[in-house]
Amino acid sequence: MDKLIEANLKAVLAREGLEAKPGDLEQFSDIIELYMSTLKTLHSVNLGSEELGPVFRPEWANK
Amino acid sequence: MATPEKPLYYLSIHEAQQLIKDKKLSPVELTRAVLDRIDKVDGQLHAFINLMAEGAMAAARNAEAEIAKGNWRGPMHGIPFAVKDQLDVEGAQARVRQFTKGVGDATPVRKLKDAGAVLLGKLHMSSMPGPELPQPRNPWNTAHITGGSSTGSGAAVAGGMCLGSLGEDTAGSIRNPSAFCGIAGLKATYGRVSRYGLAPLSWSLDHCGPMARMVEDLAHMLNALAGHDPNDPTSSSQPTTDYASSIREDIKGLRVGVPRDYIDECAPRTDPIVLKRVEEATAQLKALGARVEEVKIPTLNLATIANAVIYYNEFWAAHKSSAAEILKSGAAQRRARIYLGLLTNSADYIQAQRVRSRCRAELAEVFQKLDCLALPNQSGPAPRVEEVGPIDTLFKHVVPEYHGPFNLTGLPTLSVPCGFSDSNLPIALQIVGKPFDEVTVLRAGYTYQQAMKWYERRPAI
Repeated sequence: MDKLIEANLKAVLAREGLEAKPGDLEQFSDIIELYMSTLKTLHSVNLGSEELGPVFRPEWANK
Repeated sequence: MATPEKPLYYLSIHEAQQLIKDKKLSPVELTRAVLDRIDKVDGQLHAFINLMAEGAMAAARNAEAEIAKGNWRGPMHGIPFAVKDQLDVEGAQARVRQFTKGVGDATPVRKLKDAGAVLLGKLHMSSMPGPELPQPRNPWNTAHITGGSSTGSGAAVAGGMCLGSLGEDTAGSIRNPSAFCGIAGLKATYGRVSRYGLAPLSWSLDHCGPMARMVEDLAHMLNALAGHDPNDPTSSSQPTTDYASSIREDIKGLRVGVPRDYIDECAPRTDPIVLKRVEEATAQLKALGARVEEVKIPTLNLATIANAVIYYNEFWAAHKSSAAEILKSGAAQRRARIYLGLLTNSADYIQAQRVRSRCRAELAEVFQKLDCLALPNQSGPAPRVEEVGPIDTLFKHVVPEYHGPFNLTGLPTLSVPCGFSDSNLPIALQIVGKPFDEVTVLRAGYTYQQAMKWYERRPAI
């Protein structure tokens, strides 16, 4: 797995007090790398002023 | 009534309900026939993880007594059904919850019970925790998978082990097994069917819905399932209708869009036989009177990855308190979702939500001129069991494919069988509609199914 991705994953696991199951980082390296590359694709599009999908609607009584 | 060609357990819900209503078929007789069928074939298909035969017979006897007294509750009264493990059932909470508490009967289960349906038990799903259970097998060929994650729901319906089942769909989990198993499945509009009592995978993408052999059976089930539920904050109060009586109108003049650019984007990863069968089905819709045209939905190519980003991030959030246990003893797919969710930052999640917003806007514009979309529902026929690894599904969820975009946008989406591969494995068409317009989606699927009669073929098992 890409060293930077691996270091990042280990850091966020540690931040949460978690540890990867032994062997998982090797087993899942392909999907993790593919996922990280598609995240870049997700950010490659210019969405202009598009806002968040979910919209806050304050009409509690009508829930 | 049952014939050697069509035994009781292969009656459609529509056929059975008419016979039960007319007192020509007893719910007890029907339930016993289905339980005998389970006894005969589930050793090969492995759909059930918790068979509740005693409770089912008691419910069937109760239904029979009520109907005998003239208290027929409606088309689901006395109909045997089964439930994907992910939904809680009183006394049998979702095993997939693993470290959290269930709620008794999930609302969809309660609603079917209230309609008089007979609960047979709980069904296998992908990435079940605990000791490994046998993987469900495809009734059309037991060397092949059923598709997931509503694995047992697909196998049970196709194998004649229930007349209808409940599934759950976060990235295709109703539509994929429906396609692979040659049955119909409906992911209704987000909010149409309550999620209360459903062990969450991703709050904003999870949809509960019916699976059955016939489209009209889905309509009967949806009649019982649809409607607002105060226990589910995302449940919609949009009005419902009588779906079963609204689908018989023909489709002359129905405006059907084919998202050609998107299909072309997915085509390199799609078996040509799927594209061929879907082309044939679209031509058939045209022959039935629909007006078919090609449409462009530019941001759809990012919808699958946006769906995956939201899925894994919400999965991580939903399972944060039990993540240590999942990483220690959970199934590979669940562990992988935790890692991917952890690697997703807030900018990624927000960008995915913005893509969601853009997709919804583009689809809303397309639906100004169209009534529904038609496109493939799978990348190929069901693969052989040994061809599929424990996390292969995750690879499909991060490249453009046919399911995720409609979880992302919450649109009602039907899977309806549209033929077979050369090796006799089912292939399905996907029909997508406007928000809360389940009627149009079901009507198009019903008309197509009645014209083509693929349902007359049944698995040899």
